[in-house]
Amino acid sequence: MRIQAPVTLSLLFAAWCCGVLPTAAQTTTAPPTTAAGKSAATDGKVWGALVYAVTDKSKLTGAVEKAPDLIPDLTDRLAKAFPFTDFEILGQHTQDVFREYESWVVPSPELFLKVDSKGPAEGGGLNLHLQFWRQQTVLVKTDTILRTGSPLFIRGPKWRDGQLIFVLALKSVGGK
Amino acid sequence: MKTPPEDHDLIRWLDEEMTPAERTSFEARLEADPTLKAEAEEMRQLSLSVRSHLPKEMPVPHPDFFNSQIQVRIQQMDLEERRAAARPAAAGSILSSLWMRLLAPVAAVAMLAAGWLALRTSSATGSVVVSVYTPDPKVQATTVENTEAHATVLLLEGLDAMPAEKNVAGLSVHHAETDAQLATTTLFDGAGQVLLVMGKDARNQPLIFSHGTPRG
Repeated sequence: MRIQAPVTLSLLFAAWCCGVLPTAAQTTTAPPTTAAGKSAATDGKVWGALVYAVTDKSKLTGAVEKAPDLIPDLTDRLAKAFPFTDFEILGQHTQDVFREYESWVVPSPELFLKVDSKGPAEGGGLNLHLQFWRQQTVLVKTDTILRTGSPLFIRGPKWRDGQLIFVLALKSVGGK
Repeated sequence: MKTPPEDHDLIRWLDEEMTPAERTSFEARLEADPTLKAEAEEMRQLSLSVRSHLPKEMPVPHPDFFNSQIQVRIQQMDLEERRAAARPAAAGSILSSLWMRLLAPVAAVAMLAAGWLALRTSSATGSVVVSVYTPDPKVQATTVENTEAHATVLLLEGLDAMPAEKNVAGLSVHHAETDAQLATTTLFDGAGQVLLVMGKDARNQPLIFSHGTPRG
């Protein structure tokens, strides 16, 4: 267990312990709900991943996450965009993009995205407001049109012998 | 009984929006109507109490970004206005000119071709970074369209490196559940175990409560 914001988070933890926050047993089958108890409307689905890039294969961490069918050639595409030869996915997360609520894409607690939908884009894709966070610090805010087949690569901080790269890809547009 | 115009007058009196003549007249009415006067006094006290507990100025979070977004919106509105203003003028000049009448079929074909090309280009276009803002002035963001990788690359320069001893934990999120009432998102692994809970504090800062085995 790790605490990042002691006072407020301890309240959150206390709420969780008291059953106020959802637990696995309570929510695995429950859909996202709005304040009115209805399922939240979505505009699409995104896939986010945190990638570690190096030029020496022996420096990789040994993470075994596989790239999804969405981008089977992810490694090749990353190699065309960045001066690295070896890549590994440290974590990944597929997330619904809610129409009226923020969505979090958290392949790692260290680097993650807040996503706010601004609706479908002209010519396809989604208009998104993105915030790229490093724990408690927002690194960049951007308005982006994300289209299927065209991921967004965010070059994050350096780490050890390589570079951390955040990948965001649009999996589907539309929803319930 | 208090009528709607009296409600309106009462609010204007409380907000000191009345002219001196209106104020004199309204205060005469207050003297003649003890019920209205009592209510006006109660509302005045309430208004003073609320005002004394609120700051006169509220800081805008990330004012640079706020201002930049306003600038972008103003530029968009200017562009839309210019386009709207240009349309009737262009149409008028075409219709008033014989030469242009003769050239109209050629222009129409050219416009169709341009539209077709634009449509093709639009459908082939990848992701686009429309605007970007870095709250930390040390950090610079640049965008590159990498056609070879068929990706949009956002390069952040000036970021502090992640400490080498830090174990950057990766998560394999199987699914997530969002509770809109609590503004929390709970992430689960494939076995249905909670990986972490995302929430926000009063300043909209993300809060993470995580447990499980960090990886990376």
